Amino acid sequence: MTRSRMIAAVCLLLLGLVAAGPAAAQDKPPLIVGAIYVGSVNDYGYNRSMKDGLEAMKRAIPGLKLIEAENVPETAESERVMEGMVQQGAKLIFATSFGHQQFAFNVAKNHPDVVFEHAGGWMQAANFGNFFGATQAAWYPMGVAAGKMTRSNTLGFVVGVPIGYAIGNVNAFEMGARSVNPKAETRVVVTGGWSDKAKEASAANALIDQGADVVTMHVDSPATIIQVAEGRSMSSIGFQSVEARELAPKHWITGLGFTWGPFMTETAKSVIAGTFKPAMVREGLGQMMTIAPFGPEVSTEVRQLVIASGDRVEKGFNPFTGPVTDNTGAVKIAAGESWGGDKMGNFDWYVEGVIGKAK
Amino acid sequence: MNSALIVGVIAGSIMSGTSLLYATLGEVVGERAGIVNLGLEGIMLIGAASGFAAAALTGSPYLGIVAAALAGAAANTIFAYLVVGRHANQLATGLSLMFFGIGMSALIGRPFVGALISGLPRLPVPGLVPGGIGARLLSYDILVYLAVPFSLFTWWLIFRTRWGLGLRTVGESPAAAYAAGLNPQKLQYQALTYAGALGGIAGAHISVALTLTWAEGMTAGRGFIAIALVIFAKWNPLWAIAGALLFGGAEGLQLQLQAAGADVSPFVMNMTPYLLTLLVLIVWGWSRQSAAPAALGRNFVGVE
Repeated sequence: MTRSRMIAAVCLLLLGLVAAGPAAAQDKPPLIVGAIYVGSVNDYGYNRSMKDGLEAMKRAIPGLKLIEAENVPETAESERVMEGMVQQGAKLIFATSFGHQQFAFNVAKNHPDVVFEHAGGWMQAANFGNFFGATQAAWYPMGVAAGKMTRSNTLGFVVGVPIGYAIGNVNAFEMGARSVNPKAETRVVVTGGWSDKAKEASAANALIDQGADVVTMHVDSPATIIQVAEGRSMSSIGFQSVEARELAPKHWITGLGFTWGPFMTETAKSVIAGTFKPAMVREGLGQMMTIAPFGPEVSTEVRQLVIASGDRVEKGFNPFTGPVTDNTGAVKIAAGESWGGDKMGNFDWYVEGVIGKAK
Repeated sequence: MNSALIVGVIAGSIMSGTSLLYATLGEVVGERAGIVNLGLEGIMLIGAASGFAAAALTGSPYLGIVAAALAGAAANTIFAYLVVGRHANQLATGLSLMFFGIGMSALIGRPFVGALISGLPRLPVPGLVPGGIGARLLSYDILVYLAVPFSLFTWWLIFRTRWGLGLRTVGESPAAAYAAGLNPQKLQYQALTYAGALGGIAGAHISVALTLTWAEGMTAGRGFIAIALVIFAKWNPLWAIAGALLFGGAEGLQLQLQAAGADVSPFVMNMTPYLLTLLVLIVWGWSRQSAAPAALGRNFVGVE
């Protein structure tokens, strides 16, 4: 080849690469997804679990673009944020906190071509669906773990806001504990909000002062309570995100975490394919929920018990099958009856063995 | 009423009350100079975020407290410039400072959310049987132990020093102070710097000692409770100790009572600290004689 031909060949090659470059960049992402969080994703809790789910969705669908906004308050401000995401081309928006529901619904009305998925509520429309974990039954194996690990037979439960679903969680927990330890009692402290770190610290301390040696919680972030327990050498059981075990290297028992990934991936794929159908999705252990890895102090025997209990729940075991008595002695679920998923929000009583007042 | 409950309530109220006490002390000094700072919540948040950030960056919670004091003082100096230097309306400026503090603290704290720090170490009250129930429950960090000495120091500062006399004169009548040869502006700046430092420390106690975490808005209204406590304390640092313990105790007590199984609705329990504050303010307000500094809230525009 002459030198001039070689130069021409190199130039053509470069031109080809340059032309191909923008062409590759021209590939639109298959979907732009927006997500709003009520808090920070570094909370080792609820928001972290949502983030992990979205990241799993992103990995499962190559090229998918994710727009996120943290610390979005549960006010009309969230509408502005979601509108902004729609303007940026989002065709699927996850409103991850309960209090975002009405605002997401408002934005959904104005954008029928954008799909909205809300976590934890009940509203539905052609482009608005709802999803959450069916947490109550999943707390039963946690109770089994706590009932086996406690030495003082006192378990502590910090509840943010005593809504029916949270009370149901406490009930299943105590029932699980009682199934392996008839003397186990659960003490409940309500802080009044989903995320008040100072109160959570005081509540955890109060429970430990009253003799609890296993502490667990239903608040947005388990971090503060777990750290208080670890600091006082008490065991902890986590909730919302399995990553919380990093905070308690010595006394972590186990925990419940949400695995939103598969549902989010499925939803995104349905939006891409144009086959989205709104629904109220509630999935439990094995689907949207998982049992966290065990801590170093948990014996093989206890691990097997907990896993076996979890398997029973996955196969359909419902702890709320009568007769079930509340902590004043009244029979709340008659023999032969059972409370299904639709009644999980109706709890306003604690089962026998729980020390606390539900309302 | 078991002993665990009693000791637990005492321990809990001391821990909760400490940050309130520091914030109240700072606000007392500021109000004695005639300046009411409604932005105390913002100052506490800046202190909490800065303290946590510094503790996370340097690994030393003590440096965190120092950073919080400096940050609080700096933020309050902005407030001082606006109110003392530019004669802006104190109430409006205070509220703006609160919003500024909320935003600024979120900005400072953002990279550190979820960070793990070694908090202020807890030292058991000296003299107790090691390992016993007393030593287990009555173990506090250095800021708690320094809280009462700080109150005594602040009392001494206001009531037993020349500087304090000047401060009180400015708070009662800046014109009279000026006529007596004092510099009201300088005294107010100094008072607000001191107040800012204490407010920052108050915030840092929550993040670096109590919860070992940072979250936006984590002071949850404590700044405003402190402002109410100043009235309760009749602008006297010694009464502030009682006020902070009372409110800290109310919050700790309702959580301890829940844990002990009190047969009261949790919603009512959560209200009790606020009900108590309202009750106290109503009862205290019954007396006609107001202990407030006469020129509180008014700007000295006077002689240049």
